[in-house]
Amino acid sequence: MLEKPDGTDLLVTARQVVLNELLPALPPEKAFAARMVASAIAIALREQEASAFVPEMDLASLAREIRAGEHDPGTPRHPEVAMLLRQYARLRAAVSAPRVLRQG
Amino acid sequence: MTEERDTRLRDWLAAATGELDLRIAGVSRLSGGAIQQNWALEVECGGNLHRWVLRTDSPAVLAVSLPRAAEFALLRAAHDAGVTVPQPLFLCEDPDIIGAPFFVMRRVEGQAQGHRVVKDATLGGGRAALAAALGTELARIHRIRPPREDLAFLGDPPADAALAAIAAMRARLDAAGTPRPVLEWGLRAAELSAPPPVPPVLVHNDFRTGNLMLDASGVTAVLDWEFAAWGDGHADLGWLCAKCWRFGNIGQEAGGLGPRAALYAAYEAESGAPVEDARVRWWELMAHIRWAVIAADQAARHISGQERSLELALTGHIVPELEWEILNMLEEG
Repeated sequence: MLEKPDGTDLLVTARQVVLNELLPALPPEKAFAARMVASAIAIALREQEASAFVPEMDLASLAREIRAGEHDPGTPRHPEVAMLLRQYARLRAAVSAPRVLRQG
Repeated sequence: MTEERDTRLRDWLAAATGELDLRIAGVSRLSGGAIQQNWALEVECGGNLHRWVLRTDSPAVLAVSLPRAAEFALLRAAHDAGVTVPQPLFLCEDPDIIGAPFFVMRRVEGQAQGHRVVKDATLGGGRAALAAALGTELARIHRIRPPREDLAFLGDPPADAALAAIAAMRARLDAAGTPRPVLEWGLRAAELSAPPPVPPVLVHNDFRTGNLMLDASGVTAVLDWEFAAWGDGHADLGWLCAKCWRFGNIGQEAGGLGPRAALYAAYEAESGAPVEDARVRWWELMAHIRWAVIAADQAARHISGQERSLELALTGHIVPELEWEILNMLEEG
């Protein structure tokens, strides 16, 4: 067993230090950098949670087929591919920018 | 800048102005510009203090941006067409003066930062007046039409700007090598609904909140001309109105700054031609795709080690929200 607290706990705690202790004490021109650090930690934490749900997909083939028009409206797999892409995009946004999923 | 570089710059400016007693009283880096660097210059000559901006390239330059000499020529053309731009003054193509070619333009006061300007409803005399001012600026830019000898570096206009934009995005995705099925989905939908070509005009190609210097009276400068190209003027209206460039103030559809109707009305009044709303919406879809491709390319500079930067790294994480918005647009459309 590896020592506790684990990586997730450390990142959560480190992010709080950045936002609550460092950010208020920094000169204004460094606030952006501190916010970027906090944001990067938040993304990394959400990525840890989401990584178990990343579907096995042949993205290169799918991209090629879409470009070639094989999944255009009216083709048999169009609805299925549309739904697959929506799920895939939702998962990606849930890691990188969850606020957009909350806006209706 | 180093002291030696300051001396070389001083000597060059003295020769360019013909003011041998010219003295650089101050040099400081201005904010913004992941691709270009802007330096504020305070210059004394002939008993006057001049406030100029020196514009040059960052160490890692995007291959798709125009060189400084071209940007200088565009500023001149825009200035002559009545577009509100900083007056271009001197161009130096010799890379040995400060390490890269540069040009000098008059410094303009105002605010450009996206998150700030969208919150200030007093800028430009109010939201409707500001949106109208933006429409007037765009119509003036689009009055610049090919062929133009001074803008020969832009090459021939594309036969079909919409299809050319789709091809350009696909080429960049292929060059980057990361399969992006959602962007492909958006591009294919765009291809199936592409509007027919219109006569080409000069398209600024980065006319958006963040690149527009504003104050209480209106637009003080249209900045960042390095992506300009011949194309469909509606592309500029679409880039400005795209939701991803409203800096969170999505109710104000003209760049988060003002209402779309005021933008269109002023554009029509200045250009004498109607705005095709459906065509603008098509370019808004393309705007999201284009910004996603640019963001992915910026992150690739970090990932490849070409320019390690937390800001570039986080820019890559904008791609998923753009993909989400592209799917929403296609469902609504």
